[in-house]
Amino acid sequence: MRKNIVITGYGVIAAKKISKIKHLDFQEFTFPVGEVDYSNTELKNLLGIAAAKELSRTALLGIYALKQAADNAGVTTNTPGKKSLISGTTVGGMDLTEKYWQQIDNHTDIMLQHDCGSCTELTAKYFGFFDECTTISTACSSGANAILEGAEILEAGHSDIVFAGGAEALTKFHLMGFSSLMILDREVCRPFADNRAGLNLGEGAAFLVMETEEHALARGAKILCNFAGGGNACDAHHQTASSPDGEGAYRAMKQALIDANISPSDIQYVNAHGTGTVNNDASEMAALHRIFGEKMPQIESTKSITGHTTSAAGAIEAVICIKKMQENPSLRYVMDNSFGFGGNDTSIIFSSPLECGRPRPPKNITASEAACTPTIAARCEITSEDEIAEIKNYLKPAESRRMGKILKASLLTSLKALKQSGIDVPDAIITATSLGCWENSEKILDDITEPKPTLFMQSTHNTIGSNIAIYLKSHGYNITYTQGAQSLDCAMRKAALLINSGKATSVLVGLHEETTPKYRELMEKNGVTDFQAIHSVAMVVVKKNN
Amino acid sequence: MEQLIAELKQRIIESLNLEEVKPEDIPNDDPLFGEGLGLDSIDALELIVMMEKHYGIKLKDASEGKAIFQNISTMADYIAKNRKK
Repeated sequence: MRKNIVITGYGVIAAKKISKIKHLDFQEFTFPVGEVDYSNTELKNLLGIAAAKELSRTALLGIYALKQAADNAGVTTNTPGKKSLISGTTVGGMDLTEKYWQQIDNHTDIMLQHDCGSCTELTAKYFGFFDECTTISTACSSGANAILEGAEILEAGHSDIVFAGGAEALTKFHLMGFSSLMILDREVCRPFADNRAGLNLGEGAAFLVMETEEHALARGAKILCNFAGGGNACDAHHQTASSPDGEGAYRAMKQALIDANISPSDIQYVNAHGTGTVNNDASEMAALHRIFGEKMPQIESTKSITGHTTSAAGAIEAVICIKKMQENPSLRYVMDNSFGFGGNDTSIIFSSPLECGRPRPPKNITASEAACTPTIAARCEITSEDEIAEIKNYLKPAESRRMGKILKASLLTSLKALKQSGIDVPDAIITATSLGCWENSEKILDDITEPKPTLFMQSTHNTIGSNIAIYLKSHGYNITYTQGAQSLDCAMRKAALLINSGKATSVLVGLHEETTPKYRELMEKNGVTDFQAIHSVAMVVVKKNN
Repeated sequence: MEQLIAELKQRIIESLNLEEVKPEDIPNDDPLFGEGLGLDSIDALELIVMMEKHYGIKLKDASEGKAIFQNISTMADYIAKNRKK
């Protein structure tokens, strides 16, 4: 039987209502938000962090939720076992970067906190008991993907206790970005209502403490619920719009049900992604109808209370799901949906602790397949901007007109590697990038109050992997790691995990990085000199029989 | 009007990065979206930004763009009637 993964604690911080901006220095922004009602100074006081210490709000919110989760699960430095932190964030240290950007030459050290991976490392450092950090950046599904990753690495035996979730602070950067996409509601959002008019952005953090049932019982931990299953799929439709039939959402829910080995009729409650935009809710409802037919379970969106907390949403809503089950013991199975830009769609299912573990069969793989280890079947690398011009052989000018250099480079190396391997569409696309689409982010930072829809749409890290998926129409597993120099290690571990568990037979793994002269100059002042203008490596990983 | 139309075509090419398209390639009455130039929803958002920046026109809802951005003539008409600068 597969190992049963259980939840033994959680911590959460989020807004309790939608209101005008109070703490972020952006009073001129008139759309309402779900802002956590503590200033940074108050958060630092509560956490015993010196007021003068610069730490991103994303990290502060993350630490707050993690502290609560550790207390809730009774995990301390003395608790034996390997402890991993898996955090979903897309904003990372952007709140500090944008605050200092106009005088960044005098605050170069701020750049050391900018990237998502550094933000997670600084969060972990507060506790001193984490043996490893993994950051997942798939925009609005990051938190849900972190929880799914937690279950996968526990099942594979890579860790003993996982803290998985997400953290995201409100920033001018993404408030203006969403505003330029014209999908913000001036009122409190109305998910699934006929008169819905957009979403409200929010902030917050939530983390679950996850371990195998065996480990939890051995240390005498209280089991709150089981992680029953999860599914990750890509809509592969558009960078900012969901497909009319909700293909990605449908596949994610379907796979989660298969992973949990249950029927749609077993699900009693769905915490929907339900952002309140015309497009998302129509697409999600189409997918829900495809899954549940006429027998719809209770479906709700809690984003009219918390706001859309983007990377934290999947984790905050997982906590809401678990609390629902605690309050109502008749709930046996609940589902948490999270969908991100680029169609990074994830669905996870929890089951009541009264259910005796996951009634999942052993995986349908033969012993010889179980011994498979992955091998690199093809590889393509580019290291200079001149080489990107070759994309012309693959794309028409109209198709590439909006792509920045990292999108062109990553698509080019991916297509060439796939061609070499003779595989048209891989089963999964895994992206590693420490900095993501920095060039576009820098252009946005230079004039942050100007709306720039195209640049914003291509500023999230997962734009790279979803751009490839959209081109290939690849609906398989799609995830992006942003863990500094360890990003590729995370990606390769995942490729092995997907192949060895039988979830994929071919995986496109990419390491894609771009920098600008300004970024290199700033990092040089920080003593880091090994950045290239562009570096893109794509590999096709397949299984190999030992 | 002719001057506005010429200016508009140039601005559309610039704001949407249509490098390979020349102003004379955009007929005044051909659809801009779907067929024709093949623009999409993100282009519509860029056109909304462009109208605000150059002509001081603010749209409250992206769906208002649908009627305005049918083709160059409808767009020029709307700008001529509503421009603030």
